[in-house]
Amino acid sequence: MLVFPGDVVKDVKSVKGVTVLGPGVAPDGSTVRVTRAGRLHAKPPNTYWVEHDQKRYVPKRGDLVVGIVVKKSGDLLKIDIGGSEPASLSMLAFEGATKKQKPDLQVGDLVYGRLLNAHKEMEPELVCVDSYFKAGKLGPLSNEGFLVTVSLGLVWRLLEAENPILEAVGKAAPFEIAVGMNGRVWVNGRSVKDVLNVVRCLEVAERHDDRTVLDFCKQLK
Amino acid sequence: MSEQYKILHPVKYFRDHLAHKIRPDGREFGEYRPIVVNLGSISTADGSAIAKVGRTTVVCGIKAELCQPKAEAANEGFLIPNVELPPLCSSKFRPGPPTEQAQVATQLVADILKNSDCLDLKTLCIFPDKLAWCLYADLICLDLDGALIDACVVALMAALKSVTLPAVQYDPALDNKQVNVQERKALSVTNTPIATTFAMFDDKILIDPTVDEEDLSTSLVTIVVKEEELCFVHKPGGCVFTEEQLLKCVEESTKRATVIEEIIETAFKSL
Amino acid sequence: MSKLKSSCKLGILSRPDGSVLFSQDETTVVAGVYGPVESKANKALVEKACVEAHFRPKSGLPGVKDRLNESIIRNVCEAAIATAMYPRTSVVVVIQEMQNNGQLISCALNAACLALLDSGIDMKCMFAAVTCFIHKDESLVFTPPINEDQVKAMFMFVFDSVEKSIIASHTDGSFSVEQYKDALSLCKEECANMFDFFKKSLTIK
Repeated sequence: MLVFPGDVVKDVKSVKGVTVLGPGVAPDGSTVRVTRAGRLHAKPPNTYWVEHDQKRYVPKRGDLVVGIVVKKSGDLLKIDIGGSEPASLSMLAFEGATKKQKPDLQVGDLVYGRLLNAHKEMEPELVCVDSYFKAGKLGPLSNEGFLVTVSLGLVWRLLEAENPILEAVGKAAPFEIAVGMNGRVWVNGRSVKDVLNVVRCLEVAERHDDRTVLDFCKQLK
Repeated sequence: MSEQYKILHPVKYFRDHLAHKIRPDGREFGEYRPIVVNLGSISTADGSAIAKVGRTTVVCGIKAELCQPKAEAANEGFLIPNVELPPLCSSKFRPGPPTEQAQVATQLVADILKNSDCLDLKTLCIFPDKLAWCLYADLICLDLDGALIDACVVALMAALKSVTLPAVQYDPALDNKQVNVQERKALSVTNTPIATTFAMFDDKILIDPTVDEEDLSTSLVTIVVKEEELCFVHKPGGCVFTEEQLLKCVEESTKRATVIEEIIETAFKSL
Repeated sequence: MSKLKSSCKLGILSRPDGSVLFSQDETTVVAGVYGPVESKANKALVEKACVEAHFRPKSGLPGVKDRLNESIIRNVCEAAIATAMYPRTSVVVVIQEMQNNGQLISCALNAACLALLDSGIDMKCMFAAVTCFIHKDESLVFTPPINEDQVKAMFMFVFDSVEKSIIASHTDGSFSVEQYKDALSLCKEECANMFDFFKKSLTIK
């Protein structure tokens, strides 16, 4: 259902007095109002949100993002993640990092990290380890790769578990990818041609539905 | 105690006053501040006035110069207002180029002059396409305590009424002009537009707000009235007004306009 | 009375977060919105976002007249955007005039609303601006007369989408209270069409 700012969400259900409101809906007194134009989604029993294909990223706690190092000062890095202000990342928040042994990161390098803290009143904080101090897939991204910016709507589509796009692209050209929730996607492949093919597929996916992208992937070979 | 309370909780302080149907300066909601007008305060200008609306003080000086009319309006002179908000009038301003508020005020005053048609620019023309009067109206705010436009318009209208221009003889064949300083004539100001500002705070409408009230209020409306007619209803945004509220403001400003017009008339007679 | 013909194209610019090419009758503007972005230290507000408006005329540098337009656009956008959700940030609205046929401010405001909707920034409500004119023969029209001398007065109203109340009012020329009331009710009717147009444009996208 398409909704617009100011609309009242009807029949809001709550469980034990709790209603979960996602992006695009906000409480206004006793009612719930829409704050963005887009499609209203409801997940039973009590979750509501509005989906809108936006370009500007607003940091959310727990998001995996691709960031660019913009400043180095002592043990602290400032990372541009596309939000309203740069996030901070400690040099010690990498796997195996100690006071003496720190990762070699320069201004302009890319990192894949998780937002530990993203409160609107505070500077966002990024980490490259999980709660067991293991890196997992997080950490610096190689300079060999290629960074593209896509809309946030496409990121959500790519990250859906059953989405066939990435698998289909992989059949045409093997590649490595880091998809950031902030709309930044890092791609690396065996050759420049492979990388460019992936980037082209993403560009097609930006404007067309899944089936068109799959057809396009088949033509790549 | 109340002074500290005002600084720590400005909104609550204001709301508590309004809950008792009184404003922090002791006025009722529909009560405006006293207005003082003084004509001819600047002897070197061709026309001048000082207007005080409460503590807001605006000085207006009008200087006349001879110039050539614009090609597209060959039989019209010029009247150019300029509002200045020097650092003296409020701590909000710093020395330097005109602030956005000053520029917006200048444009609003120019629009009010144009809309009300209070001075026919054709009367400023001496000889079509060759010679006309250009009136520079400089409005300087000495003390800013809200309702800037109201004070500017009062000062400007009073100053315009006090302008006297010397007689000019122009000979187009020789392009020769003769100015007779002894023989001065007043301008023919056809009507007097009067501006009234309202502030809205929590559904309450306050007439003639002070600067504190303006800062706290959620929206402002300026209504200009001339001879039972409206010539400007300016609400630049902010929270919503219903039609009834807006029309009530129009009614209030019509009432206030007659009072101010009398004040200017009295000041003019005592000149 | 003829209705105004509006058309728009959303997302025409690649860099801004929301953009639109909007035309109403023959007046055309391009609007772009950036936000929320990092705000300058001297402009940042602790409890809400700071809204900035920039108005660029068709030719030359912005003058005193454009400052007034900017202040109206800024104040109206500030009333509609849920500024409390983005503290210490800026929302920048940039309007470029392309062609002016008399209803420039209302066109700029409608474009700003569409660009804000396109950017997906949280808003309390939508807003629509409507301009109408009084002919010398006292008739009310939406399209400006070809000859400028025929216009007795101009009214511009901005309404919100929730309560249909007045967010902004701007007038030109002198008129009676009755005429003001008539123009107000006429524009209020027309604003419903504007909101329908906004909804239709966003649905197609």
